[in-house]
Amino acid sequence: MLNRSIVKLAIPVAIGALALTACGSDDGDSNGGGGGGGGTTYKIAYQGPLSGDNVALGENMQNGIQLAINEANESGDYDFTVEYVATDDRGVEGQATAAAQLVIDDEDVIAAIGPAFSGPAEVAAPLYGEAGVLAVSSSATNPTLTEQGFPTFLRAVPNDFAQGAGMAQFLAAQDGVEKVILVDNVTPYGEGLAEVAEASLTELGLEVERSSVPVDTPDYSGAARTVVQSGADALVYAGYYQTAGPFAASLKDAGFDGIAVSGDGTNDMQFLSLAGAASEGWYLTCPCTDATADEATADFAERYQSAFNQPPGTYSAESYDVAQMIISAIAELGAEANRDSLYEAVATGSYEGLTKTFSFDENGEFTNDAIFMYQVQGDDIAYLGPIEELTGG
Amino acid sequence: MSLQDFWDVFVLGVVLGSLYAVIAIGYTLVYGVLQLLNFAHSEVFMSGGFGGLIVLTVVVPAADPSGIQSAGYVLLGMLAGAALGGGVAYGLERVAYRPLRRRGAPRLVFLITAIGASFFIYNLAGKIFGRNASRMPSMYENKTLFTLFGAPINVTQALVVVSAVLMLILVDFVVNRTKLGSGIRAVAQDPEVASLMGVNIDKVVSRTFVLGGLMGGVAGFLYGTTTQVWYTMGFLPGITAFAAAVLGGIGNVRGAMLGGMVLGVVEAMTVEIWGDAWRYVGAFAVLVAVLMFRPTGILGERVARTA
Repeated sequence: MLNRSIVKLAIPVAIGALALTACGSDDGDSNGGGGGGGGTTYKIAYQGPLSGDNVALGENMQNGIQLAINEANESGDYDFTVEYVATDDRGVEGQATAAAQLVIDDEDVIAAIGPAFSGPAEVAAPLYGEAGVLAVSSSATNPTLTEQGFPTFLRAVPNDFAQGAGMAQFLAAQDGVEKVILVDNVTPYGEGLAEVAEASLTELGLEVERSSVPVDTPDYSGAARTVVQSGADALVYAGYYQTAGPFAASLKDAGFDGIAVSGDGTNDMQFLSLAGAASEGWYLTCPCTDATADEATADFAERYQSAFNQPPGTYSAESYDVAQMIISAIAELGAEANRDSLYEAVATGSYEGLTKTFSFDENGEFTNDAIFMYQVQGDDIAYLGPIEELTGG
Repeated sequence: MSLQDFWDVFVLGVVLGSLYAVIAIGYTLVYGVLQLLNFAHSEVFMSGGFGGLIVLTVVVPAADPSGIQSAGYVLLGMLAGAALGGGVAYGLERVAYRPLRRRGAPRLVFLITAIGASFFIYNLAGKIFGRNASRMPSMYENKTLFTLFGAPINVTQALVVVSAVLMLILVDFVVNRTKLGSGIRAVAQDPEVASLMGVNIDKVVSRTFVLGGLMGGVAGFLYGTTTQVWYTMGFLPGITAFAAAVLGGIGNVRGAMLGGMVLGVVEAMTVEIWGDAWRYVGAFAVLVAVLMFRPTGILGERVARTA
């Protein structure tokens, strides 16, 4: 029999230890800044997943921001220096408070880019608000974020209403799609996206079934079975690439042959390497444009490639734009630049970036809602174009 | 749930359960000889996944392998998984536990060491291999092999169950029929008397870890084949397999096998009926219910002394 006293001690010890791991590892390699400028130094922070399961998405953005900061410092156009600070929330709520606090406590930080994910954004946005630090997320797409009155939070990306509605519009335009099964990953991102897609699909007259698979589920055989048994012609997976990989593989094994659609959380090359051949034909939406396929960002894509030895990923170009937007706002404010004035300037201003024009409504919501469609073809994620154009709507 | 659904889901459960059973062996063997809850065993399992992944990344499987080639890749992956799993388990015993045993450390210290070793190993794996998951290179075409009561069985599922059953038979044989097995049983019953009778306790303990590690390593490789390989992959299967060992009766090898199978099938049924969000609820409800009426597990614990 298990020694009682050991078990009594073991449980709190195990729980305490688990809580401790959660605080671990911050591989913050902040090698931004340097060179040029002079005078005042402003720090721009980035909060996102720099370790953990979704690190690839976090690094895409980090690289975009670093490139913007390095270019600004090297350009000699500004009489101040910008320094990059990274804070790692692993993309999970539990780490968001600590990650944001690190940024807020550093008085040289004038603005933060992020939090990258919706869950951490919901936790950290009130903290940034209290401290008066501008927090611009270039990727947190859960619609409710801008409905909660966070004082300094801006969203520089169309929300899930736009993405979910885009998916619905796309599926309704496909031949033979009558029933759609929606699978979410039980995160604010997944549930938000699925709810919006459900509402839009129902509105367009399609039958909808919902199912949920928690994000840390290791085994997708049961979920794949549910999808096949539902008899749906199409699947919408509202989750991240980390789990979309094994899910796609299980779906293939279970014999699912319908249309599969997922959102920006899956729109990453990691999805292809995790799912292998099973990812073929998956449609992936994104509020992000393809930096390498789009003419406006071709030059950026080259500079990114030469700096990081890889092509820009999801949200790299958008994060670059957001960083440039903040830097140019600082430049315009000149000596007046502080946390408060910067928020006002960015929130009410309009900035013409490489990818799109950035402007925000009174809730901090982005005022531009174009969604783009991609598809996995062979070893690549091919850019199909804006959904509006694809569906002729 | 129709009868056909039942069989389909039963198959998924048995596949999952055979993996749990093989991992549970590692917990139960070590508990048997040391009364130690080796929470770092989940990392032994994870190492096995990486072992297979590394070898199969070096030996790139052919795009369209013949039957013999496929079998070769699978065997290679298993051996690599077993080697790394066994190696990590051996190192764990030598570095983390043996010094404590020498000093006669209290049992709580062992437990905390186990948790610390677990954190160390998986974070090290994260540093070395990165935090992103990797897919096991495909070694064969995962087609349906045959149907059992109308439920289709694919290559991966057959591979997992057949290898697990073979390993379970092997472990059972080793524990009950070999000299090492009698050593393990002797140390489990009474280490002092066993050492007076000429059993080299250090050797037996070390080999017990390695035996559990070999099994855990192969299980890690097989599990990696069914999903993917990543640095925290050991956590959930490890906890579940530990529960399986307790369910069957910790210290009892056959109990661990039975416990693993039961939890796997209950888990699959729960997912089918209530959805994935309830995955672990069903399994752990069964665990609690069984322990309420049989505190020593289904088959009863086999350790002679009450620690």
